[in-house]
Amino acid sequence: MSTSNGAVLSVEGLKKHFPVSRSLLGRTRQYLKAVDGVSFEIEPGMTYGLVGESGCGKTTTAKLILLLEEPTGGRILFGGEPVSGLKSDGLREYKASVQAVFQDPWASLNPRMRVRNIIGEPLEINTSLTKGEVRSRVAGLLEEVGLAPYQADLFPHEFSGGQRQRIGVARALALNPKLVILDEPVSALDVSIRAQIMNLLKDLQAEHNLSYLLIAHHLATVRHMCDRVGVMYLGRIVEEADTEELYENPLHPYTRALMSAALPSHPDIQRDEIILTGEVPSPLDTPPGCHFHPRCPARFDPCDSVEPVKTEPSSGHRVVCHLYGGA
Amino acid sequence: MPDANGRGDVVLDVEDLRAYFFTRWGVVKAVDGVSFQLRRGETLGIVGESGSGKSVTSLSMMRLVPSPPGQIVGGRVMLDGEDVLRYSEGQMEKIRGAKIAMVLQDPMTALNPVFNIDSQVGEALRIHKRLSGSALKSQVVDMLRKVRIPAPEARVRDYPHQFSGGMRQRVVGAIGISCDPVVLIADEPTTSLDATVQAQYLRLLKDLQDETGVAIIFITHDFGIVAKMCDRVAVMYAGRIVEQGDVRQIFNNPSHPYTEALINSVPRMEERNDRLYSIPGQPPPLWDLPGGCSFAPRCEYAHERCVEYPPVYELAGGQTSACWLRSG
Repeated sequence: MSTSNGAVLSVEGLKKHFPVSRSLLGRTRQYLKAVDGVSFEIEPGMTYGLVGESGCGKTTTAKLILLLEEPTGGRILFGGEPVSGLKSDGLREYKASVQAVFQDPWASLNPRMRVRNIIGEPLEINTSLTKGEVRSRVAGLLEEVGLAPYQADLFPHEFSGGQRQRIGVARALALNPKLVILDEPVSALDVSIRAQIMNLLKDLQAEHNLSYLLIAHHLATVRHMCDRVGVMYLGRIVEEADTEELYENPLHPYTRALMSAALPSHPDIQRDEIILTGEVPSPLDTPPGCHFHPRCPARFDPCDSVEPVKTEPSSGHRVVCHLYGGA
Repeated sequence: MPDANGRGDVVLDVEDLRAYFFTRWGVVKAVDGVSFQLRRGETLGIVGESGSGKSVTSLSMMRLVPSPPGQIVGGRVMLDGEDVLRYSEGQMEKIRGAKIAMVLQDPMTALNPVFNIDSQVGEALRIHKRLSGSALKSQVVDMLRKVRIPAPEARVRDYPHQFSGGMRQRVVGAIGISCDPVVLIADEPTTSLDATVQAQYLRLLKDLQDETGVAIIFITHDFGIVAKMCDRVAVMYAGRIVEQGDVRQIFNNPSHPYTEALINSVPRMEERNDRLYSIPGQPPPLWDLPGGCSFAPRCEYAHERCVEYPPVYELAGGQTSACWLRSG
């Protein structure tokens, strides 16, 4: 894996195993492998999408990057520097440069804080701006996300869901981050509001040359927003490609099934439905060989015993599946 | 069995339904003059955003509007020729869950965690079909088999927590269809399911409909579900149906600016569009509706006439539109 071709952030073999049960002697017997060897890179000004179903590890990956969880293995590199080696100032700079917008705008804003303080708090903690400067910066941020400066004095409950998500975006932008992690940023919003927020995020990205890591399960949203996409299944990226390539030419049987299961945008669109049997197995009890083999319509000999390795059938299009060679 | 063209008989005829909530902020007209028909074997999608009145519409048909503060203040709900709004509570109990049944959104809360699947699927059968003992047991197993739950004989004794989300939603589905309903209301039945599991469940509902001819009402905010599942569509905004028509009419030729805007604002799986159409503003609070057309403040075609609420215009092919643009 190359690490230094100007990526804002890259993760290499990232792992997070949660201990779940202990024996009498306190020795861990079982691990939940939420993230199990994930690698990808996010280029400046680009949006990288992580898609997958619930429990695939996409949110844990985000938490690891936000340093809300400690990785079990692997590295996170920020501008080529390993994050694990950062000390006080460097760490502070990293935390300011990597911000997040969360899914639920009802839960992610403190109901007892005024908007002024919600957006201003990161500025007070991380910068030496005076009160007046913070005030005008908050006003500027509110305008940037399509709200009015006077709304700084209101509380979150005085806003609609879409407006709250705008406040969340303003808070994330307060410290001029390089990377913003968007964890299902529109899925809790009403349909007519989603487009507003997606357009806003795109405008802000263009203006500030932001990089995004978008975590989503809705494939149409991902196609609309992302430049490159990784498909996760049970803690691993099973396929990764530039967005257009992935949607036009999906290789992994899981990606194909996911795409065939996506709802059509017109009643005349009939997809060949690949209806998978069963559901995602528990990450506590991952199947041997390829994790996907119990549900895979294309499984053959090696799948239930040999783990597939990553191959690159065409440039930049990587897949982890026995159908495409490898060991 | 009616195919795509041959339509069955009308089994549900809702006319000018009104359900209001009397709150201290004022009267919330959650459902304000809703009319539609549903035929045997047909699937109607009621589409709208939160607060559009789609869920209160379905609760009204089931006579489950919480009262107080809610009250059904007018209209008729003719189920198989009889107005269920005039039924006594006792009469209603006889048909609720039997003739007209419901599949709820969240399979985690729709099932009682302290009873096993057997008793929860069997409850409606025991009450409505007066089954008991081994007849009841075999009927419950049949129902679970119908919704494709593997090893149903063994699983009837299990409790909800022993099932996965998708399997739980199937159990809820089994309860819904257990008494051969004429009308099945599915209120966002797949929003909490993953994409591949959602696909399985939607396929199952279609198969069940083909087998039994049940008419289904899909309450949803998702035009993808509508495109995949529905024959006809009613689009709701602020308590009223603003447009109704066949699913292809709605997608190819939306007649109300709200429908058009909503369809255009959804990103497509099939192609990349660089910028989405976005509807300005947000849905109005129902206790403080603008006079006239409720969508006018967000509508790019709004003009002077919109201060008055438009009548419902009938267009070609049975499509209807509550918009002055269609006045002729």
